Amino acid sequence: MSLEELAFLALAVVALITALAALLVRELVHTILWVAVFFVDISAIYFLLEAPFLGVLQLGVYAGAVTVLLLFGIMTTRKRIFSREAATGITAVPLALAIVTFIFAVAAVGELPQSDQPVRSFDPSVLSVNLFSTNGPWLLLLGLIMMAAISGSIYLVREGRE
Amino acid sequence: MTDLPIVGFVALSSAMFAIGLFGILTRRNFILILIAIEVAMNAAILNFVYFGAFAGSVSGQAIAVVLIGFAATEVAVGLAIVLALNRLKGTINVAQATELKL
Repeated sequence: MSLEELAFLALAVVALITALAALLVRELVHTILWVAVFFVDISAIYFLLEAPFLGVLQLGVYAGAVTVLLLFGIMTTRKRIFSREAATGITAVPLALAIVTFIFAVAAVGELPQSDQPVRSFDPSVLSVNLFSTNGPWLLLLGLIMMAAISGSIYLVREGRE
Repeated sequence: MTDLPIVGFVALSSAMFAIGLFGILTRRNFILILIAIEVAMNAAILNFVYFGAFAGSVSGQAIAVVLIGFAATEVAVGLAIVLALNRLKGTINVAQATELKL
């Protein structure tokens, strides 16, 4: 097993443990801490895949902005931020649905075309050229949706609304 | 250049998606549901990046950039709904959100 595969295995195990811990612990603030570790771990996987721009974006947007935003949401909606949630009832139907989804997704690997060549890495400059040419419409759409989302959010939380 | 196994990546991302799905279906706190959606969304983004690299195309990474932006937008709107729900009902339990009006 190469060093790269070992690193991937370790990162994958940490990602799964932190994702599970984030959704199962009872203190909401601890959830945020676990999910922050999860986001940092995913960004490490991007660096492993030689996508440094995405790794930095993941650190900035997810581990930075989204985490702080979620923490802010918890602080404004609770009297005591360390109060406990009700325990997660591990009910049969959602658990079965999750397991079936996982099995189907992994079983689909056999249907994928196999390739012997190693995956390619790209320079961020290649990515930026692609983002402003081939995939330019998606970037424009993102801008439009963000603008609509900002106006919608301000409308939802503004003071004195009937 | 990297030669990581395809099965490992698909197993990781589908396990992450399954955990997110389980969280969405079981938790009742709005913020925890948002976090579960983020976990599932990260699985999708990871798949885009990996299969883009696997196919030798940079488009996977480009779409991942756009999707990260979408996910951040979704959290912002979700938290606005959380704040409005908290003001209206005094709780962020989704079982109490029985009206469409916010």
